[in-house]
Amino acid sequence: MGTASMPDLVIGDLRINPPIIQGGMGVRVSAARLASAVSNEGALGVVASVGTGEEWPDRTLDCPARSYLSLRDMLQQVRSLTPNPFAVNIMCALNNYEDLVRAADEEEVAAIISGAGLPLRLPSLVKHRSIKLIPIVSSGRAADLICQSWQRRYSRLPDAFVVEGILAGGHLGFSVDDVVSAHKPLEAIVLEVLAVTGRYEREHGVSIPVIAAGGIFDGSDIARFLALGASGVQMGTRFVCTHECDASRQYKEAYLNCREEDILLIKSPLQLPIRVIRNSFVDRISRGEREEFRCAYHCLAPCEPDKAPYCIAQALVNAYRGHMEAGFATCGANAFRVNRIVSVHELVQELVGDTLLHLGHG
Amino acid sequence: MSLESRVTEIIVDKLGTRPEEVTPEAGFQTDLGADSLDLVELIMAFEDSFKLKISEEDSAKLRTVGDVISYLNQHGVSE
Repeated sequence: MGTASMPDLVIGDLRINPPIIQGGMGVRVSAARLASAVSNEGALGVVASVGTGEEWPDRTLDCPARSYLSLRDMLQQVRSLTPNPFAVNIMCALNNYEDLVRAADEEEVAAIISGAGLPLRLPSLVKHRSIKLIPIVSSGRAADLICQSWQRRYSRLPDAFVVEGILAGGHLGFSVDDVVSAHKPLEAIVLEVLAVTGRYEREHGVSIPVIAAGGIFDGSDIARFLALGASGVQMGTRFVCTHECDASRQYKEAYLNCREEDILLIKSPLQLPIRVIRNSFVDRISRGEREEFRCAYHCLAPCEPDKAPYCIAQALVNAYRGHMEAGFATCGANAFRVNRIVSVHELVQELVGDTLLHLGHG
Repeated sequence: MSLESRVTEIIVDKLGTRPEEVTPEAGFQTDLGADSLDLVELIMAFEDSFKLKISEEDSAKLRTVGDVISYLNQHGVSE
């Protein structure tokens, strides 16, 4: 049996098969090349919108203007590389959130995935009703509040939820203590959110699929979450170690070379935990040293540039470009298990075959 | 019941704080231990109790108990 026997991830009129969303990874780790390669496999490719302006040639424009133009350009590139749907990830904490949402709206992406805060205003910023709005949440309570708030303000419900647990990469929606104590496995949070979406689905006669994320590594994980009631999964880490991933070779090598004990949680300038691969830069900031920087523009609303020990945007751009001594790679908790770089096609084929085997009809 | 007592009652109910902590100067996040989810829940509770709509923009400005009371006063809620 082939791809045909994997269940579709159905989000309104979108049908994604295999039911895998490639997690948006900033800065520029998931750009046009990776996102289009993933969408070409039938899964959902996602462009990360954060820091898109870094590579825009016209330096006379300010950073938010470059980011807007650059995101539109990236989305047009994806469209020229794949006929299939693709999405964009936009973090609520970004000061230029509205501009980036406008770019995604104008380019009529298939979906906007939005976390790192509660995307309460998102429905009011998107004109095209066809664009699926997908909040990322880390608890049933957050899902419930977003449903309530959207319903009363915009008479609209989310088209799906991504549920991110403590093993995810990037900024985590938990306190450091919660992550360290592994207070709740992803399975429990997914069930919590399913209880909430089930209630709204019955009340409003709609379907709100739930997508599990954070630490999903192989087909057995995918099969387990599908059996639990999730309609799909979102995966980031595995897609970093692909030929098509937009980050530098050095960034991917950091994944290949890391051991379990090299994967650490540090506090980002947002005071949220962020999972990174240990290197000399991480050691310096962990010791409380300050990395000099000039704030290009106040990119993240909760950041206090004069108090931040380093600039996370700069650190991530440096890592994306391969200057690992001046930055770090962020990753999911299972990054140490990746040991080779493959093509997106090979990876998706492996995941599909492995999932079917575990679903019992391989 | 006065406007202040109704507001206090909602805050005590949602945040589990003691009524004497709910002073006009008290900040929801800074003094009363509310997180971002609590704030959303509080705003919706005010909307329900006082039968009005508070926009996202306005909600962001309501940082203290006093902010909420003056907002309600300005929007025609007296008691």
